[in-house]
Amino acid sequence: MAKTLSSVAQRRIQSELTEWMRSPPEGCCLESCEPMTSWVVVMQGPEGHSRLYADEVFRLRIDFGEQYPLDPPDVVFLAPAPIHPHIYSNGHICLDILYSGNNGGWSPALTMSKVVLSLRSMLASATEKKKPPGDAEYCARVGNRSPKLSRWQFEDDKV
Amino acid sequence: MDAASSGAQTEPAPAAGAPERPSDEEILAQQNLIRAEQAQRSEYVGNEEPLSALKEEYINGNQNFVQKISKLESAYGRFRRTRGDGNCFFRGFVYAYLEGLLLGRDTAECSRITAVVQGWKMRLVEGGFQELVFEDAMDLLLDQVASVSKPDSGSGPQHEQLLINMRDDTVSNMIVMFLRLVTSCEVQRREDHFFPFIMGMYDEPPPTVELFCQRFVEPMGEESDHLHIVAVTDALQIPVRVVYLDSSGHPGGGSGAGGADLDATVHDFVPDACPPGTQPRVHLLYRPGHYDILYPR
Repeated sequence: MAKTLSSVAQRRIQSELTEWMRSPPEGCCLESCEPMTSWVVVMQGPEGHSRLYADEVFRLRIDFGEQYPLDPPDVVFLAPAPIHPHIYSNGHICLDILYSGNNGGWSPALTMSKVVLSLRSMLASATEKKKPPGDAEYCARVGNRSPKLSRWQFEDDKV
Repeated sequence: MDAASSGAQTEPAPAAGAPERPSDEEILAQQNLIRAEQAQRSEYVGNEEPLSALKEEYINGNQNFVQKISKLESAYGRFRRTRGDGNCFFRGFVYAYLEGLLLGRDTAECSRITAVVQGWKMRLVEGGFQELVFEDAMDLLLDQVASVSKPDSGSGPQHEQLLINMRDDTVSNMIVMFLRLVTSCEVQRREDHFFPFIMGMYDEPPPTVELFCQRFVEPMGEESDHLHIVAVTDALQIPVRVVYLDSSGHPGGGSGAGGADLDATVHDFVPDACPPGTQPRVHLLYRPGHYDILYPR
């Protein structure tokens, strides 16, 4: 992926970094932001209702493109991804706010703090540790390409 | 909805005799190709053209269009196309407004809009938008206002610069984004006013005004409806006239009772705070799904 960023994208990412350092989202910390266009976030599994993920730690990679924040970044869980009905084993996440166009719900008003909090609450509200239907087939088909290249259907955003 | 039906779409094995469905890659490649072609064919903001060029498009098609455009030509001589990327209302609106400021040498209006835009900083923050998500975009809009209000020897270079900026991926889109955030904030501030409209727009309306805005106002490329126009014209106090051009064959306008000739429907969006009779600052031409800019004679 091309990493030539517009100055607008650079400033925005820098502002979000500063904001994150000042007030990190609950249960999350930044493992790496080097280069600035690729963050690795460490997420403590949330307590949640059923404590499904309470003792686990996950890692997320966030890759910003040059049209950020007009376009959403690529956001994937690094292996091993949480076992969750909306998270594929290759780390791809079925959550509308991560995608633009069609049914996507990405808004430039979202920040990475808000995005990781949404992901954490998605884990917290799970009632069952279960892989998405068709997980093996999907992962075999798409491998490690960008999740933005998949067509997503978001029919159930509350898990 | 059934949770099991959400997720990445899987490709079903093609049934005997059924056409094979294209893969994700093929669909996306095709979408990207269409987008690239569209981008090559049309700038975000095109060049001025005579209205007769629009009529040409329909000469061999629906004659209602031809008739309506012919009548429009008495009021409007020229138009300017915008790219059909879902942002055409906001982009056409802001370009036509800035161009009007530039050509009208309207320094009073420049000062007014600068103050109004600066005033939105506080409102956006109060509305829950973090400053870091809109500050750069707001500055880009204020930069445009400042540069069109600068005295200049001739309108040539300035006009050209405005066009260059509004054709620039970053500048143009960030300004559209700012207008979307302002629109979202205005809709949410006046929730009681806008909620009934939202309920009327969809069979399954989003449950809250906030969700509506996150889904249908803030994202780039989401098309604008009546509601977006009301909200942004109120928010910035900029009166807009939209001329609706469609293939319908009903005699309109009220003046041609019994006559055979057809009129495009005109709708003025005049913010409440504007004195009655305020003339529109921006004229847009709406054809189903798309807005272009119109120039009054």
